Amino acid sequence: MDVWGSLLDGFATAATPANLVYALVGVLLGTAVGVLPGLGPAMTVALLLPVTYALEPTSAFIMFAGIYYGGMYGGSTTSILLNTPGESSSVVTAIEGNKMAKAGRASQALATAAIGSFVAGTIGTALLVLFAPVVVGFAVSLGSPSYFAIMILALLAVTAVLGSSRVRGFSSLGLGLAIGLVGMDYTTGQPRLTFGVPLLADGLDVVVVAVAIFAVGEALWVAAHLRRTASQIIPVGKPWMGKDDWKRSWRPWLRGTAYGFPFGALPAGGAEIPTFLSYVTEKRLSRRPEEFGHGAIEGVAGPEAANNASAAGTLVPMLSLGLPTNATAAVMLAAFTGYGIQPGPLLFDREPELVWALIASLFIGNALLLLINLPLAPAWARLLQIPRPYLYAGILFFATLGAYSVNLQSFDLVILLTLGLLGFAMRRFGLPVLPLVIGLILGPRAEEQLRKSLQLSSGNISGLWSEPVAVVVYVVVALILAWPLVARVVRRRPATDASALAAIVHPTSDGRTDADPSTTPERSEARR
Amino acid sequence: MSVVVGYVPTPEGEAALEHAIREVTQRGTRLVVVNTSRGDALVDQRYAQPDQVKVLEDRLDAAGLEHLLLHSIRGREAAEEILEAAAEHRADLIVVGLRRRTPVGKLLMGSTAQRVLLDALCPVLAVKA
Amino acid sequence: MSAATPTVSRLQGRSELGMAALLGAAGALVLWDAVHLHAPYSESDPVGPRAVPYLVAALLIGCALWLGADVLRGGRGAAEGGEDVDLDHPTEWRTVIPLVAVFLANIVLIDRLGWVISGALFFWGSVWSLGSRHYVRDAVVSLLLSVTTFYGFYLGLGIYLPAGILEGVL
Repeated sequence: MDVWGSLLDGFATAATPANLVYALVGVLLGTAVGVLPGLGPAMTVALLLPVTYALEPTSAFIMFAGIYYGGMYGGSTTSILLNTPGESSSVVTAIEGNKMAKAGRASQALATAAIGSFVAGTIGTALLVLFAPVVVGFAVSLGSPSYFAIMILALLAVTAVLGSSRVRGFSSLGLGLAIGLVGMDYTTGQPRLTFGVPLLADGLDVVVVAVAIFAVGEALWVAAHLRRTASQIIPVGKPWMGKDDWKRSWRPWLRGTAYGFPFGALPAGGAEIPTFLSYVTEKRLSRRPEEFGHGAIEGVAGPEAANNASAAGTLVPMLSLGLPTNATAAVMLAAFTGYGIQPGPLLFDREPELVWALIASLFIGNALLLLINLPLAPAWARLLQIPRPYLYAGILFFATLGAYSVNLQSFDLVILLTLGLLGFAMRRFGLPVLPLVIGLILGPRAEEQLRKSLQLSSGNISGLWSEPVAVVVYVVVALILAWPLVARVVRRRPATDASALAAIVHPTSDGRTDADPSTTPERSEARR
Repeated sequence: MSVVVGYVPTPEGEAALEHAIREVTQRGTRLVVVNTSRGDALVDQRYAQPDQVKVLEDRLDAAGLEHLLLHSIRGREAAEEILEAAAEHRADLIVVGLRRRTPVGKLLMGSTAQRVLLDALCPVLAVKA
Repeated sequence: MSAATPTVSRLQGRSELGMAALLGAAGALVLWDAVHLHAPYSESDPVGPRAVPYLVAALLIGCALWLGADVLRGGRGAAEGGEDVDLDHPTEWRTVIPLVAVFLANIVLIDRLGWVISGALFFWGSVWSLGSRHYVRDAVVSLLLSVTTFYGFYLGLGIYLPAGILEGVL
């Protein structure tokens, strides 16, 4: 595949006026959503999924990509400028950024966050351009057995590694797989789990399920526990940085990118670990470690870069293998299926214009975000004055609107409410939501690969491990499943490591903020 | 016996506070400062933050006034909180700041001063910035 | 965060068993449906349509038992926290129940009254349930939203939301 030629073609498509508008809309929406607490890029993309049925797939994905990257930018603005950060200090950026803002250096904090995000996003997208075709080239040589094994690995990684309660992760996965079963069986044409209801014959629309679980479930859950707080925005002028700040920031930017990208690409990497690692690294390498905890610019530069690079990294498995590694990627894959586009290694072959236009628009979106956020960050913060009733009623409103517009039938709203209540129950009982969505999206595809593999081996189950890649993957799977037994043997050590990490991050031990709740020792005892 | 003042960190609120302090000094009663928020939004610029509270407390201490700060977030409107405080602390006087609002603005956004004026049981002093 | 009084955690434990029961019921449902599938052996599809449902049912029932055991042994799922979530108080049913009621009302009325009216009522009812008491402002915003989205979807996306009883007016 001629990478550079395709990329240039992609730029040509992405730079058309219409698509530029979509990119702009995407980054604006993404930033707004990132600023506002409680929302997030995954929910926003889910809410917009039904709308995009009427749009060109290329334009829709350009918008989604803008939302994805924009969400990162917006989040750092809030954590830096909010006077009493509270929960948002679970974002590592807020630890140093907020202190900087209180010391009157909010402009510098915002600037380093924005520029660092731009640097990381651009480098990350460039790495995506380099790596994705390589992965695709490798993946195309895989047969159904290997592909099936990789999907099992992805499902397992998200379920068993993320989150602290395996049983609940697997329960969530089971529910997702069950929901994915509803509808007509692809090969034999028989209806499954439709109970004679004709409207279910086509299965549950992934879009409706995604909106129900992410948006309605979240809104209902927050409604049940509406928090009453009143903070203020720390006043700030235009973001800018002095020469000294530049000197102190550029290396953390690069290091952060190096941390973020690989973690984003791994099935259970996520963005918390790399930002944490980046923070700890910057603190260790800093010539002024005593500044950490009181507003060290490196502590903002590194983690922000890691965050954005992780977002770019997520796109590697998503575009090249069709594997989602976080909620937003899962929802974007749902969008692919909604358009009838099969995600996977053949995506680059079958829809090159779409993929390369998407990638090109990531570069464009990144630049737009820098231009928009640098002067406008303080203005964005004013969005925080929107009362929560409007926010959450708005979510429910648009969720209903979107779900209804898919088929213009009120039955979809019944599904929306039912699954929304399921989402509510899951949040109440600590079942993670991500395995459900990934199970829903990957389940049918995994089943397809399973049946193909066994068809090729004429029903012989050893066909599942007939390819070397499949064998390797299954070994990894076995390791992941065996991990808790191994962990129990070395049980003492993880707790001390976590408390050591916590002590590094919170030298003043004011005990309030929880950088990563799942690692604090007393928490990990109470969960399985 | 007390004077209740609705305080916000804005010019009108400061003016109201000034007048309230003067009244309390004259009457020799207690000053009850009401600064609350509905807590509906993450950011409420009218709710005094810890540093602003400190400045306020220092100022009242320096003036040697007996004072009480009501600083809760209970999901109630400011007017409600002020009226309730007035009833609870048996206020002789309520002081509120007056903000310029057009009739449409009052219809859409409400007016704390208007509600207090209409529903208070004791005299109300409305102060402009 | 896990400093719940004994009564609360016992209640919560029992309700978590409800989740386990739900999982078990789901698994049973999947199993029952799968058994009734017709699956003649075929060369091109040795697995058949029943295999994966069986696996999923096994997973669900297994999880139901595992979760039940975990709950009875004292394990608790941590309710999801968040920026706007205040977990110190129990569920505020008086917010959730009106919301669900308004949602159901919208489902029933949307085709009859049309999106403009039904959607506006839905938004207004939702903000009311969530605590907003600025009646006039809320009504204005609700109508604005429903009318804008109605025309926006029509003009921008070509989707005709139901006009209901306002048919002909819009």
